[in-house]
Amino acid sequence: MTTTLAPATGLRPRAATATESARARWGRRFQHGGWFVAPFFVLYGLFVVVPVVRGLYLSLTDANISGDHTRFIGLDNYREALQDHLVWNSLWHSVQFTLYVVPCIVVVALLMALIAHHITHLKWLWRLCFFAPFLLPSAVVGNLWWWLFQPTNGMVNHVLGIDTPWLTQKSTAMIAVVVATLWWTVGFSFLLYLAALQNIPHHLYEAAELDGANAFQRMLHITVPNLRNITGLVLALQVLASLQVFDQAVVMYQFGPGPEESTRTFVQYTLEQGFTSYRVGYASAISFILFLIIAAVALGRMWLLRLREEDAR
Amino acid sequence: MTTADPTPAPRKARSTWTPGQIALTAVAAALSLVWMAPLAWALSTSLKTPTESVTSPHWIPQHLTAASWKSVIEAGNIPNWFVNSLVVSVCVTFVVLLVAALAGYGFARTEFRGKSALMALTMAGLMFSPAILGVPLFATVQSLGMVDTYWGMILPQCAPAAMVYILYKFFQSLPRELEEAAFIDGAGRWRIFFTIVLPLSKPSLSAVGIFTFIASWNNFLWPYMVTNNPDLMTMPNGIATVQNSFGIIWPQLMAGGLIAGLPLIVVFVFFQSQIVRGVAHTGLAGQ
Amino acid sequence: MARPGLNRRQLLSAVGGLTVAGSLGFAALGTGADALASGASTRVRYWNLFTGGDGANMVAMVDAFRKEHPGIAVKDSTLTWGDPYYTKLAMAAAGNRAPDLSVMHQGRVPGFAPGRLLDPWDMNLLTKYGVREADFNPVLWKRGIVDGKLYALPLDIHVQLSFYRTDVCRKAGLLDADGRLPTANSTDDWFAMLKEAKKQLKGGQQTLGLHAFDQNFSWWFFVAFYQQLGGGYFDDERTDVTFDTDKATQVLEFLHQHVADGYTIVGQADGEAFLAGSPFVWEGNWSVPYFSGEKVGYGAQPLPPVFGTPATHAESHSFVLPHQADRGGPANEGAHLLAAYMVKHATAWAGGGHVPAYLPTFQDPAYLKLTPQNEYSRPAMEHPATEPRIWFAGSTGTLAKRIGPVVASSNVGSAKPEAAARRMKSVLEELLAMRNPMDGRTAAQELKGTAA
Repeated sequence: MTTTLAPATGLRPRAATATESARARWGRRFQHGGWFVAPFFVLYGLFVVVPVVRGLYLSLTDANISGDHTRFIGLDNYREALQDHLVWNSLWHSVQFTLYVVPCIVVVALLMALIAHHITHLKWLWRLCFFAPFLLPSAVVGNLWWWLFQPTNGMVNHVLGIDTPWLTQKSTAMIAVVVATLWWTVGFSFLLYLAALQNIPHHLYEAAELDGANAFQRMLHITVPNLRNITGLVLALQVLASLQVFDQAVVMYQFGPGPEESTRTFVQYTLEQGFTSYRVGYASAISFILFLIIAAVALGRMWLLRLREEDAR
Repeated sequence: MTTADPTPAPRKARSTWTPGQIALTAVAAALSLVWMAPLAWALSTSLKTPTESVTSPHWIPQHLTAASWKSVIEAGNIPNWFVNSLVVSVCVTFVVLLVAALAGYGFARTEFRGKSALMALTMAGLMFSPAILGVPLFATVQSLGMVDTYWGMILPQCAPAAMVYILYKFFQSLPRELEEAAFIDGAGRWRIFFTIVLPLSKPSLSAVGIFTFIASWNNFLWPYMVTNNPDLMTMPNGIATVQNSFGIIWPQLMAGGLIAGLPLIVVFVFFQSQIVRGVAHTGLAGQ
Repeated sequence: MARPGLNRRQLLSAVGGLTVAGSLGFAALGTGADALASGASTRVRYWNLFTGGDGANMVAMVDAFRKEHPGIAVKDSTLTWGDPYYTKLAMAAAGNRAPDLSVMHQGRVPGFAPGRLLDPWDMNLLTKYGVREADFNPVLWKRGIVDGKLYALPLDIHVQLSFYRTDVCRKAGLLDADGRLPTANSTDDWFAMLKEAKKQLKGGQQTLGLHAFDQNFSWWFFVAFYQQLGGGYFDDERTDVTFDTDKATQVLEFLHQHVADGYTIVGQADGEAFLAGSPFVWEGNWSVPYFSGEKVGYGAQPLPPVFGTPATHAESHSFVLPHQADRGGPANEGAHLLAAYMVKHATAWAGGGHVPAYLPTFQDPAYLKLTPQNEYSRPAMEHPATEPRIWFAGSTGTLAKRIGPVVASSNVGSAKPEAAARRMKSVLEELLAMRNPMDGRTAAQELKGTAA
């Protein structure tokens, strides 16, 4: 099965041959395409649009989880959020996590992809080994690394021959989450890189080889430039996902904030406010802080892409 | 960009064990060893007795026992959660495929009033996730009376703007000629969609389906928020929030984790190239 | 892989189709697989948070109940102690999908919106099943009453204990003629004991397991010693913080000294270290079955009264009825019956180290024979140190979550005790000014009964 799977190119096979009249009839007859998108928008409306609007409303109230006694309190929640040091503290943890984990993922994923691409023996085995952890549920990953990082009985200390209390001291708590995450999610970025490597036209390498370029030069002048786009994509996807980190951190620390509150992530704080302290209104308000950041990252990337497209033109 | 072909890129035939290849294989083996070690440790722990698991760490169990596996399967909720996970992921995958294919096609090939506005709305949806929207989403689902129901778990996972976008791009890239020919032969829009377009889109659909299934099977956050009844929990959720009454017994925790994690890994071994292509394709579509 | 043959492909799509159809049907039914399998007439859904020895005891008690009442199917679920449990309980009650019966720490009741997330006990039913106020520890019973109605039916008091290994302490010459550890009545006494015990240890072993980094334990130990010094938290009107930072500093310095002087190694698995030969550990009484199962000679006392007055941290497990809009009927009666059965069969529960709330248990010879329960239960029950009774307090509640990390940071040495004490006071001030999200009132307004 080697069907083309590449819809993401800019090349659109515009059929210039089709007659204009057929094109016009085609367009006219299908005015009622709205029905095609209707099922999606029912779900989308109910579970994306309504919650956003409702969240905006709730953020202006002191709503609690039981839904009664709700009063409109204007911008009080936002005012409180700006002064709540735990908001900034937990936001910093999410950012810190992102700063640690994303470069690790990019480097390791690229390394793995280069290996898996150039190796000739047992390709499937390496791919399986690198990718398999990605298929585990986050809760399993959390429990697993909780166990692996145990100071006296855990694998990590056993293998390294040390007795670091990884999960109980501030200085290593976040690193433990980063290690677990790298192990778990690197497979996804690895596959993206691998696919990108396989998409580099082979004739480029052949031409370079004829010109006498050695392996290192070919890597530097062909592989690296051709991976620019994919690196941008990996970076964007990982930054967006990492800022929303929650699962593995809470499972590794049994839903607690980690030693000296050093691993409480922003999403965790939101849910603590909403579901543990029952402050649905306040939780909604701080959710929008994260949303603004995520939106800024996403829009920033779109802007960069557009800039680059214009450059290329 | 051509195809993400799983077979090696056409290289010149030469002796396969060059020094470079030997070195590369050594590095790959070392890295794989590191990557597999945690799973091996989990397996080894799960085969130890609870007492042995907390005595000085070692790889090979002294007394191999499947007792933890047995008690996890017999006593715990795990078989129950397994069924729940399967029900939820299958339903999510099915609904997502149906809804996203329809919408993607609608956007790619049909005209209707407000199309560009709806397209923009869909694009905006790419920025929301249950991690961000969790609390208001819960409030909404709560007022729909769907807390602690399958539908409460399933439906909110069924509006993925990203999948619509991916399929939209795909349908746009399909040549129009086939559809136009069928249209001239008198086929209706829906018939064209189901008999011509869908069969042509199998690779893309299976990519989206595989990706959705993995994501849903492993989804922790949303089921965690919306299910409280342990009978209804999915595998990841149950493992994290419901405890064995007898406390943390590492071998059982690891056995449970492996039971939750192995099905997808086994499926992966058998359908490796499809899954690799599915994941890579879905991810790459974000470009 | 090879292109699948046509037959295999057909088989696959048939299986796929069936799975999809089955799943959709299952989802439409809307119940878990387990509910389909159960056929008993009355089904009581009962949630608890007991794991370890407690979990085993609870399972045994529920099994005994099942034997006596075969018509009632008890579906018990154990959720992870702490946040997951209370979050899920509140959400289930708010979403009107609550279990029929559940366990709750008594300290959490004021914050759990009695009347909204909790339903009151039906006293007629309780009387019918043999539960009388006179049989209970009066302090505990009264704490379960809100606005004249009983919301929390007490099961036990559980306390923080100082466990000691008799073998090590004997070698160190610390035990008295009865083989028990004498009480340390001052910090000097206490550290002198630790010093003697430490001489018996190999390098790398800690003398006292203190859970120094754990925010819950840190806070519980603080509560105990702060009460020994007679410190308070709030005035009676709940308008002012009366937290005494000098006394708090004294407590924090005492706790930190264990780490500073090398008696406690931060990050050791304290319970396991105790079993491996470490002479002392401060733990909840729930560790009794764990330690007893390991054939280690040990004793247990309330936390040492190093500041003069005895007091050790105490909380209480109680039974509550999570709010159900249509509470009543056989499931509700079954919940009352089950709770009544369990509070009255407290001897079995006391095996888990807890001090029973049901007083007739103290006449049960089987209970009096339990060791080390007979060493600590009376003194612990008589000198409990509890968190202030206010909406944000209680086991793993907002107070513990906010203030516990401050104590822990002082314990491990990353904050100076004076600074930590000041920080604790400001946390208390913030919380006192905060409105209870459930009714939009501050603690003071709640006390006066004023509207929000």
